[in-house]
Amino acid sequence: MPLSAFSTIALTNVSQTFSHHNHQVQLFHQLSLCIEQGHSYAITGPSGSGKSSLLMLMAGLEQPTTGQVAYLQHGRSMPLAQLRQDIGFVFQQFHLLPELTALHNVALPLKLRGEKNAEATAREWLEKVGLGHRLNHKPQQLSGGEQQRVAIARALVFQPKFIFADEPTGNLDSKSAADVAELLFACCQQNGAALVMVTHSPQLAARAQQVFAFNNGNCALLENAPLEVQSAC
Amino acid sequence: MPANNSAKNSPLRKNPIRNSLQLAWHFYQQQKHHSSQRVLRWVQGILLVFIVTLSQTSASIQAYLSHNLANLLGADLVLSQPLALSASQHAELAAMSQQIVLSQSLTTTLTHNGQWQRATLKAVADDYPLQGELRTATSQGGQENVSAQGAAVGEIWLDSRLLAALGLRLGEQLSIGGHRLTVSRILLHEPDRLMEGHTVEMRALLHRTDLQQFRATDDIIQHRYLFAANAQQISTILQWQKTHLPAAQVHHKHGAHPLALFWQRTENFIGLASILLFFMAAIAMQQLTRAQLQQQQFFSAVCLSVGASKQTVLHISVLKWLFGLLLLLPQVLAISALCHWLLLQWLQAQAFAQQGAAGSFANLAWQPDIALAVKTIVASASIFLVLNFPLWLALWQCSVRQLIQPQRRSISNAVLFGCATLVLAGVAAHYSDNGLLTAMLLGSMLASIALLLVLSWLTLSLCEKLSQPFSGILPFALYMMKQRLLSKTTQILGIGLAAFLLLFTLMLLKDLGDNMAAHQRTHDGNLLVSQASSAQMADIQLWAAQHAITIRQHKPFMYVQLTHINGGQLADVMQKPSDSLATLSRPVRLHWSEAVPGNNRLVSGQWWHSADTNWQQLSVEQEVMTDLGLQLGDRLGLVIAEHYVEFSIAATHAYQSGAGAITFWLQMPPAALTHIKAPHYSMASLELQPEQFSLLGQLWQQHPSLRMVSLQELTQRFDSSLALVTRLISGFAGLIILLAGVVMVSSVHAVEAKEQKKNSIILSFGLSKRTCLQLNIIEWLVTGAIAATGAIVATWLAGLLIYQSQFSLPYHPDIGWLLGTLAVILSLVTGLGIVLSKNSLAGSVRQLMAE
Repeated sequence: MPLSAFSTIALTNVSQTFSHHNHQVQLFHQLSLCIEQGHSYAITGPSGSGKSSLLMLMAGLEQPTTGQVAYLQHGRSMPLAQLRQDIGFVFQQFHLLPELTALHNVALPLKLRGEKNAEATAREWLEKVGLGHRLNHKPQQLSGGEQQRVAIARALVFQPKFIFADEPTGNLDSKSAADVAELLFACCQQNGAALVMVTHSPQLAARAQQVFAFNNGNCALLENAPLEVQSAC
Repeated sequence: MPANNSAKNSPLRKNPIRNSLQLAWHFYQQQKHHSSQRVLRWVQGILLVFIVTLSQTSASIQAYLSHNLANLLGADLVLSQPLALSASQHAELAAMSQQIVLSQSLTTTLTHNGQWQRATLKAVADDYPLQGELRTATSQGGQENVSAQGAAVGEIWLDSRLLAALGLRLGEQLSIGGHRLTVSRILLHEPDRLMEGHTVEMRALLHRTDLQQFRATDDIIQHRYLFAANAQQISTILQWQKTHLPAAQVHHKHGAHPLALFWQRTENFIGLASILLFFMAAIAMQQLTRAQLQQQQFFSAVCLSVGASKQTVLHISVLKWLFGLLLLLPQVLAISALCHWLLLQWLQAQAFAQQGAAGSFANLAWQPDIALAVKTIVASASIFLVLNFPLWLALWQCSVRQLIQPQRRSISNAVLFGCATLVLAGVAAHYSDNGLLTAMLLGSMLASIALLLVLSWLTLSLCEKLSQPFSGILPFALYMMKQRLLSKTTQILGIGLAAFLLLFTLMLLKDLGDNMAAHQRTHDGNLLVSQASSAQMADIQLWAAQHAITIRQHKPFMYVQLTHINGGQLADVMQKPSDSLATLSRPVRLHWSEAVPGNNRLVSGQWWHSADTNWQQLSVEQEVMTDLGLQLGDRLGLVIAEHYVEFSIAATHAYQSGAGAITFWLQMPPAALTHIKAPHYSMASLELQPEQFSLLGQLWQQHPSLRMVSLQELTQRFDSSLALVTRLISGFAGLIILLAGVVMVSSVHAVEAKEQKKNSIILSFGLSKRTCLQLNIIEWLVTGAIAATGAIVATWLAGLLIYQSQFSLPYHPDIGWLLGTLAVILSLVTGLGIVLSKNSLAGSVRQLMAE
């Protein structure tokens, strides 16, 4: 795929500050980075260091105090509203709708977009994440790992170009965490989507191609050697 | 045991009551600004204001009436009956009292220069008044004088409205039945006005000698004997009356006001209607309970985890609720006092506007009854306590396990339903005084609830099923609504009931007025003769034939007074007030007919045959049977022309439309006429051309005591009562709207967290806030549409039933009006719903991350 075919989120000299009890707290300063479709990224650092804020900026859901966030498609600048349609989220708490079955939770984004074969596509995705036998189960009938698999399927079912994951394994035991991580990376890779994760887990961060590490108000970029991702998705 | 030790040493154990109070106060302060607490305060506040105002106003009226009784009786005891006392009865009573004064009254139609006006003539002699002041004036709005005696022979005193209605001036002559009287004074007040106090009839006073000139038969004149007597003599006369004149009406200074029962009944009716308010409050409180449950359970689990006992946790929750209620009271009492004052002002204004209507409330005083207010508040608090019980039960079932293994523990629907039913049954039992009315009101309410439930379930299930193969916002909205069927149904129920109530109260009133007038015109002619003696009826028939006027109906009757039921005195047997009892305390009409009249149908029992030898049987109207709790075979003791006759109830009948409106509560076989000697009267209806109304003057001149009323007058009377009722109902409707708003707020609040999360998740799919708003609009439109349709269908059904059973009229609602109402409800519900859902639309992906 030529470089111009990829979608990119570019942050240029962004700073983020907020006011707390009349004190200005700076999360990060003059940060410039690029998120490219098809790559994986991890954001690490202690609690309150600004990881989630950076994720929100990247997703175009918040405005930086200073600096610019741009969305480029084939090298051309696109409005940020367009970016919002090309992203999916995976949360630590899964956030599945309790009233809906696994199938309906996954079909939800497609149905809202008016797609005709929503349920058939959702079924395919659930089979991909290994839950073909749990289609009609409601979230409370599923384990944490299974719920996160449903959430991953839901995030990817509408073919977003970027997946933002906030502590995707934070609520899971080590075995489930490893399985979910494997699945997440595999699905994103297979789908050609960028994966941006906020995580406290060094093991999970180590799987990303690039790591943005927050430390004492600074954000450093660490390159990881690309790991081989098993084809679980 | 370590667990026990920790519990014993916990700070909550050292001074449990003080600590619980402090903690409850602390948490109350912290949570009082939460929206759920605010909504709870609104629900409790509205109901408290309503109940306190109702009880205070009713108490003021009852206090006024008992004061009024003492002052407006014009005697220590008043005995009234249609016939004059016999010489021996008079002598006996004179021996038992200090003085007896007779006043006679006759309702008649006075004519002057082609104008006529119905009025009550009171004829007195020189010994009148017995007690109190007789006030008159010598010019319109002139100086008020106290007269020592009534009008002299050849003179008549008219009240100012009557004077104006007949276009008379002082000094002019008024001809009554060919006898001319000079209008010499304006009558302002007679001391014995109590008995006329609740009528709008205009009045005139004349000398008894003049009344004898009118050729009025003795039995159509009401004879009222005013007694001066001490307490001992009063009780002796009362004993004597029970055995000698059981059909006579007696009022004395230590007895109950004749209007007391009427007002008790008004309070009961409004109270009964308040069941619907309580039902809506129950819905709102259940929604709030659901909204608060998770937070309260979490708090309880934390308390339990630090060694507090379940009792302490419960104490804190109950005390917190109690603080909320107590701090609400100053506002509730202030607003209720204001509403109470405003209502009394309004009643006084009505009294002036209608000149004596509503019981002459001109001097009604605003006196809050603190003890009663406390009693009312305690009763209402008990109701709220029961409605809050499910929440406390859920807290009692809470455990520390909830912190370790978060689980969704909801309140049992059976408990919620049980508590609401208990409250509603309590309110119904307290205010119910009429089985049929209670059954009809509760029946229509239950029917509308069932209808709304079925409609919600059917619509949502069907729409969801049909839209399943499709994608898009609408199918998704329907799908989500179906998934949240329970909470959606509760929401629809609240809104639908409120809309039903509003429509029911406002629309039926409007239609009732239109239908009644139209119906009367079609079936009953435009002139109703409510009482004509045989001679008068013969003259009417002659007059009608002369002028080619059609007599549509003509039915004979005689007056009877119900005194005994199954051998017991009416007053002893019947304790609960009802419409029927109020009417039966006065003489009523008894009709005779060989066959079931065309406008009646047999409900139960058996109608008599012509060959039947048993003449002592009656057919009684169905509603009277229900009101008085009568059964077939019961014995009714009637006094007819001073003779006591006992009948047994052989049948019950009900009115049916199509054959005229003149119907009777009591009917007997014509065979009874050979055994009963009493004056016969007739009721009739006639159809006059507009130009023929001027001929009525001739008839009234001839027979002043003839009771006739034109359709125009009837509708005027009906309209003025309707206007009064409409104003009262509008106030009630205001309360309903307020509570409907609260129900909507609480129902939105109950699912706010869920809705916010749903919207945040939708945003996380890359969809915009506009999509969330569209979903919200669709949900409210569907909710409003189901609620409005349910309300309209329920109103239509209730209209059909009530019109048919109460007025026997066909009900034809105005379709344009219904559709307009549907549109108004829909836009109001959707608009308000979107405004209220502002918080749930404010969800964001950030919130999902923060959880």
